[in-house]
Amino acid sequence: MAENGRRFPALSLATRNLSRQRLRAGLAALGIVIGVFAVVTLGLLGNALSVAATEELGGLGDQVIVSPAEGSDAESLDARDLAAVQRAADGRGTVVPLKTTGGTVRASGGRTVAQVYGTDSPQALFGNGSGIVPAFHRQGAIVGADVAEDLSLRPGSTITVEGNEYRVVSVLPEVQSISPLQPDSAVVLPPDEFATSGYSQVVVRADSAADARAVADEVDRRLNARQERVSVFSLTSVLDRIAEFFDLLNGFLLAVAGVSLVVAGVSIFNVMLMTVSERRGEIGVLRAVGIHRKQVLRTLLVEATLLGVVGGAVGAVLGVVAVVVTATQTELPLWAVLLPGNALVPLGAFAFGVLVALVGGLYPAYRAAWEPPVEALRG
Amino acid sequence: MRTVQTSPVELAPPLRLVDVSKRYDSGAGGEVVALSHVDFAVAYGEMVAVIGPSGSGKSTMLNILGLLDEPTSGRVELRGQPTVGLTEKQRTDARRESLGFVFQDFHLLPTLTALENVRLPTAFLPGDATDRARDLLERVGLGDRLDHTPDELSGGQKQRVAIARALVNEPDVLLADEPTGNLDRETGTSILEEIRRITDEEDVGVVAVTHDDLVTDYADRTVELVDGVIQDG
Repeated sequence: MAENGRRFPALSLATRNLSRQRLRAGLAALGIVIGVFAVVTLGLLGNALSVAATEELGGLGDQVIVSPAEGSDAESLDARDLAAVQRAADGRGTVVPLKTTGGTVRASGGRTVAQVYGTDSPQALFGNGSGIVPAFHRQGAIVGADVAEDLSLRPGSTITVEGNEYRVVSVLPEVQSISPLQPDSAVVLPPDEFATSGYSQVVVRADSAADARAVADEVDRRLNARQERVSVFSLTSVLDRIAEFFDLLNGFLLAVAGVSLVVAGVSIFNVMLMTVSERRGEIGVLRAVGIHRKQVLRTLLVEATLLGVVGGAVGAVLGVVAVVVTATQTELPLWAVLLPGNALVPLGAFAFGVLVALVGGLYPAYRAAWEPPVEALRG
Repeated sequence: MRTVQTSPVELAPPLRLVDVSKRYDSGAGGEVVALSHVDFAVAYGEMVAVIGPSGSGKSTMLNILGLLDEPTSGRVELRGQPTVGLTEKQRTDARRESLGFVFQDFHLLPTLTALENVRLPTAFLPGDATDRARDLLERVGLGDRLDHTPDELSGGQKQRVAIARALVNEPDVLLADEPTGNLDRETGTSILEEIRRITDEEDVGVVAVTHDDLVTDYADRTVELVDGVIQDG
């Protein structure tokens, strides 16, 4: 301490002064602990939730579904429409025309009602990159995970859809992410099996969310110029809304936490004001014996800032621990918490806590350091 | 020690008041004259007692001598140099370089040890005054109390620490405000002996403001203030 005292007199004097009123200093620092803890936990949880949700919903954003407009006479999309969508999606993703109907599926294991899709390229829609789903579909049936489970189907089983028998060629893996199509409870047949020639919808699997947005706009421009022929459904805008909502939520949470930090700043202000009014005489002596106003100010600011440094460090560590524990105990994925970018939250909260303490100490320190020593010594 | 005085600045008294007056507004438009046309000087190695009833302007005079307060008119000279127009920073530096303070209620920092209290005026300066501080404490008989905090020291010991603190910067003048005011007669006597002895050794001028007749016994000269005016005695 003696060595430090010579090298960092302000720091040494400040720590001595803080140790004088341990309880009071502790309580002031506790305010910062709570504020920083709140910012860290709410900030990290908000970020992690947002990241996890975006990941969960990610697949949604890439799909554009074009179907006949509700008001139009057409009940299906014809080859001309398909060609228009294909041109719109050129270079931006894969176009999969789809026939859709509902139907009863029978098998030796029982019967169930399923969505029946007709497409010749199921892998683009349902594949998720796995090799189980054939790229081209010319015969037999591909069944969704739920259907397969309900009817105890395996590749090779036989099912009857609307009176026609099909051999199961493949079972779709269970779908994790949310999708506008419901492959789990579907049966996918080659399109030739459908009596109709048109398509009930055309799905574009775009390469990215931006591509999806561009394709949706382009299809709308090409097909709906004169009259509303098709409805273009894309979840990009929904995703944007969800992202906006999370931004708003995070902002709100951080604002609430920020308020608690500001309150902590007020308590530092109060404590420093008390401290300097109790130590008026001492500060007067410092000034009388030749310590400059700025040196007194620095000493008092170090004192206030130390409260912020200690409180902020404790609050940041506790906050991170609390969020990690929360993640391990709930469905919130831990990786979403431990993203490198999230380190900014505790660091930022710590810095904010220190800043708040510094600002809280500014006026009391200034008032004490600038008081004429004659008046301070008078007591 | 200033045994060889060659430059004219060194020949000037270390601290001097020339025609100094100090007036305060008394609030209701009136004015209180705390000091009126005071001429005063202290020499190196000289001890001057300033006595007078309360309200006579003793403390004001000491504050003005200590560059803690400014006169309304007249001037304060430090080693022959006028101090008027100095910035707050320069006055603070001048205090640290040339003056030492001893207060009635000691004013030691309770969190610091005796040694650290003595070193305090030099705390923000480069260099290490520990040796000088230890030497001074040994000379006032506190060589075995270096690491004691003020609450572990008696009143007389605290005042000895304060004297050592006032001298750590090798001042020209030591200013004492009722140095024996909080001490019993016996302790007061030993404190005055201490001040006398050590300021003689260091060739430091002393101005002691006091009610206490004891102080005048140790002073080379006594100045009486009545209603802000120095009485010719």
